Amino acid sequence: MGELADSILAGDRRAAGRLISQAERRDPQAVEDLGILYRHGGHARTIGITGPPGAGKSTVADALITRFRKLGQTVAIIAVDPSSPISSGAVLGDRVRMMRHCDDEGVLVRSMATRGALGGLSAATGDAITVFDAMGFDIIIIETVGVGQSETDIVGHSEAVILLQTALGGDGVQAIKAGVLEIADLIVVNKKSTSGSDKMARFLRESLHDRPMRADGWDVPVLLTEASEDIGIDKLTDTLVQRFYHNSTQDRVSVTRRRQVAAHLTALADVEVRSLTKRLVAGDATPEAWQAVLERRSDPWTLSAQLFEKLR
Amino acid sequence: MQTETEIQSGGGQPVRCLLGMLGTDVHSKGIRTIAQLLRDAGIEVIYLGEHNSVKGMASAAVDEDADLVGLSFSSAAYVTYTRQLVEEMKRIGAQDIPIMLGGIIHPDDHAELREMGVRGIFGAGSTTEEIVEFVRSMGRSQ
Amino acid sequence: MTDQSENIFGNLEELEVKLSRTKSWGGIETENSYGPADTSDADYAEKLGDPGTFPFTRGAYPKMYRSRMWTLRNIVGYGAPEDTRDGLEKVLASGGTGINIVVDPLTTQSIDPDHPSFGPEVGLEGCSLPTANDIDRLLDGVDLSKIDTAWHWAAMAYPMVAAVHVKRGQPLETLQGSSMPDMLQETLSGWGERLVPTVLGHKTTVDEIEYSVQNSPRWALGMPQAYDLRERGLTPAGEIALGMAFINKTLEDLVERGLHVDQIAPSLAWVSTSDIDFFEEVAKFRALRRFWATTMKDRFGAQDVRSMRLRVACHTSGKSLVYKQPLNNLTRTAIEGFAALCGGVQSLEVCTFDEPVGVPTHEARDLAIRQQQILANEVGAARVADPLGGSWYVEALTDAVETEAKAMLDQIEKIGLLKAISDGTIEQMMDDHNLKIQRELDDGERIVVGGNRFMPEEEPAPQRFTFDRTNTENHIRRFIALKGSRDQDRWRDALRTVHSVAKSGGNPIGPMIDAFVADASVGEVWGSIRVAHGLSYDPYDTLEAPLDYAD
Ligand code: B12
Ligand SMILES: Nc1nc2c(ncn2[C@@H]2O[C@H](COP(=O)(O)OP(=O)(O)OP(=O)(O)O)[C@@H](O)[C@H]2O)c(=O)[nH]1
Ligand SMILES: [Mg+2]
Repeated sequence: MGELADSILAGDRRAAGRLISQAERRDPQAVEDLGILYRHGGHARTIGITGPPGAGKSTVADALITRFRKLGQTVAIIAVDPSSPISSGAVLGDRVRMMRHCDDEGVLVRSMATRGALGGLSAATGDAITVFDAMGFDIIIIETVGVGQSETDIVGHSEAVILLQTALGGDGVQAIKAGVLEIADLIVVNKKSTSGSDKMARFLRESLHDRPMRADGWDVPVLLTEASEDIGIDKLTDTLVQRFYHNSTQDRVSVTRRRQVAAHLTALADVEVRSLTKRLVAGDATPEAWQAVLERRSDPWTLSAQLFEKLR
Repeated sequence: MQTETEIQSGGGQPVRCLLGMLGTDVHSKGIRTIAQLLRDAGIEVIYLGEHNSVKGMASAAVDEDADLVGLSFSSAAYVTYTRQLVEEMKRIGAQDIPIMLGGIIHPDDHAELREMGVRGIFGAGSTTEEIVEFVRSMGRSQ
Repeated sequence: MTDQSENIFGNLEELEVKLSRTKSWGGIETENSYGPADTSDADYAEKLGDPGTFPFTRGAYPKMYRSRMWTLRNIVGYGAPEDTRDGLEKVLASGGTGINIVVDPLTTQSIDPDHPSFGPEVGLEGCSLPTANDIDRLLDGVDLSKIDTAWHWAAMAYPMVAAVHVKRGQPLETLQGSSMPDMLQETLSGWGERLVPTVLGHKTTVDEIEYSVQNSPRWALGMPQAYDLRERGLTPAGEIALGMAFINKTLEDLVERGLHVDQIAPSLAWVSTSDIDFFEEVAKFRALRRFWATTMKDRFGAQDVRSMRLRVACHTSGKSLVYKQPLNNLTRTAIEGFAALCGGVQSLEVCTFDEPVGVPTHEARDLAIRQQQILANEVGAARVADPLGGSWYVEALTDAVETEAKAMLDQIEKIGLLKAISDGTIEQMMDDHNLKIQRELDDGERIVVGGNRFMPEEEPAPQRFTFDRTNTENHIRRFIALKGSRDQDRWRDALRTVHSVAKSGGNPIGPMIDAFVADASVGEVWGSIRVAHGLSYDPYDTLEAPLDYAD
């Protein structure tokens, strides 16, 4: 126990990969190592990238890696893609967009599947952040699955959430309707050469303008990029750095930290509660009560009350 | 502890399988199809596509904690490239991650490849079933 | 009687060959039979026309093979120029009627043979031709103004062969031969955005067509190169749809540059395939010619009959051929070749039976040529134009392929071709197609002999072609030596001109020819174009540009 943590602190990437896999499968062995690593962390800056499928999240991540590397920063990426709800398999295809960094020791990409988690991330995202943070990566970029409307777990895990949109397919209107704009610290209209991009950016700016000022005083910028051509990425990087700077006053640091801990806890609790629920609902523990419901001598409401009594 | 989907698929942990190609080979349609078939069989495929470097492929296997590495070759240079990968994996301490090959692999080369440590060879005419079964058997729980 | 034979006789019913599907190979549903009611009664003249007349459904020429036999092709390429030369001589000795050359994977990607990562692949599956000198060596004694050379190679073929011609003191307008300048095809068939970015690929194709039709009017252009697209994953209707989308976009851009369709279209030939579904392929060739003719006339206002009359270069399908019991492939290629001829193609290359194994052996090559000779002389494939015209089934199928192609083309053009390529829509379409086929094979709905059914017992390992690598090694040394001995100032100036013209958005084909004349290599010329477009010099990000481009 603790051996993986020691190796990871010594920079062993294989060990890091293993520990994250353990965390992904909720192997109880992982807890001690993660606990050790957690105590070594707290330095990395975290960036979240979210947005609809195919908006260019991975391409933006790839372009950001290049920028941050030029600034001398090391970068870890956590790239999440959805698991198939039917087979539970997945094709994790984000890494392929970042392969030009594959020979660079200062870059580490870890692909993860959602494995049934619903918030747009893997339940082990916080664990992976813990590992990379402890390894000393300066920047951690988290790419969510291509989100619809409710996958907003990214907010807790990162101090700068980039919401990517394109002028294609009416993404923007949808985002506003669904209220996803609320989660963004930066809004980026990617594929800006697509017609309607400027209009869309204007529209987004106006919608933001109509909102009350944010509690943290941060003004959400709307930027335009063509990530595949590396256009607009300089500005995006500068804005991210400003955001980090904005967050670095004492009270804001603690707000961010609290948020991250809460997100991490929520993810852990989620898995616990879900599996507990599953076990309780499975009915092995209370065969008579189940039988009663089946025979209509009892009812689901009563059974539910019985099962979850202790949890309440 | 199991999440919803694991229960649906009958338990066990998804196998993490890296799939990619080396060299200048452009014959990607086989591996693209295989990636989807493996996903549908409950495998987590880390898809690297074509034109990877030996070094990049090996480091991906490590960083991604892959349970196995699958290479597709339609280029006749596969013996040399596979050897290069095996050596690079050794160099970075990942020699225990199994390697499987698919594509056009001539029977006369099987012995040499096996000797290098290649665990599975699935050339033309292999069935989806055989491939899926092999990949599953490389999962950690076994 | 043994147990086994008892079993066999006991299960006779199951052993019977049953029809596994009633759909065509490309997925078109068919009826029990066809009759007069199934073909629309539109005017014969409007939809079919006699062979050699608009809309050319029934063939490009009135007398077809009686007036002009198809060109019997057999593609050669392996090792150094000396090796390929040797192969070409063998083909001509067997009765091949043309010089057809394929380059190695590095050369197709404009990567030089001294690239540190790809040594083992040099010359392995095609001829390594990194400089004009290598082409000169390969074609020593071949007069490029008299003898056609056909290059299975994209945008670099024309400027390099042109440079050889210029080096030999000949004017560009006498250059004769053909190449396949279609670069979007490469983006989609596996080269990908990394090697051939959509926008750059398309511009290069347009540049090359513009330059070659104006400077070398006798040079033919295999465009679109729909063969590779089909092999990557398309139905016959999909071939027409995507190929026409390429043509429409390319012609529109050329027209915008001030050319008229009649200056371009007569130089184009469609590079097609012929797959195993005989009737569907015949229908495809017929529908294709009609599609082309009406597009040229109605959409582009062509007046020259040569613009409307499509010529087709056909290479039978490689992916239809099966690894197990490879001699069965002779059956397959015979039928595919026959379909191509019934469909009225102008040149034919029949795959060798060992296609799934590797680069062809000399024996397999010989049989592929014999097969075409049998088709020409014994089967009667050449006798009559459009032999299946008027078959209710074939006419109905021709209409069906055309209708499906139209729908698909509309879909692509609604998104916009370049966008549909760069955002992955078309690749996704092809992947879906391939996955569907694999699933059909897996559950036996689609049967391939030796692929998923009727598997042979243990067979010996198939023979594979091997050749001595000594020439290739010398060739690489010779290449490195050339880089040291060429006129460095001239070389540098030439590449800088390529770069600056490309960067300013001009047409760089002329400067590319000059650079090849100055002994620049294929990697250096394409690398300079890449840099001009803001890309890395080496698509594999290993090499740095060997010169600085600062003017
Ligand atoms: C389709 C095809 C193409 C397409 C490729 C499209 C694409 N993006 O995939 C196109 C037209 C682009 C093409 C181009 C070329 N091709 Co090609 N092509 C073929 C062809 C006809 C079929 C290959 C194929 O896709 N089969 C179907 C798929 C489903 O099968 P598969 O890939 O083998 O995969 C199956 C299994 O092997 C397995 N599998 C595959 N990968 C993996 C991986 C793992 C891990 C596992 C478990 C299983 C697995 O699963 C699949 C399903 O069962 C073959 C000949 C043949 N009939 O096999 C030639 C062939 C592969 N091509 C060949 C050549 C030479 C070329 C070129 C180099 C020609 C040239 N000089 O220009 C160019 C490439 C240029 C370059 N820069 O590389 C040669 C290779 C020679 C050799 N190995 O000795 C072949 C054998 C033809 C020949 N006889 O010359 N080609
Ligand atoms: N034209 C253009 N294409 C882009 C741009 N950014 C990304 N793309 C292309 O859009 C497609 C999707 O890009 P990705 O980066 O994979 O998108 P994603 O949001 O990560 O996709 P998922 O992870 O699948 O949700 C790819 O084909 C990219 O090359 C851009 O700025 N302009
Ligand atoms: Mg992505």
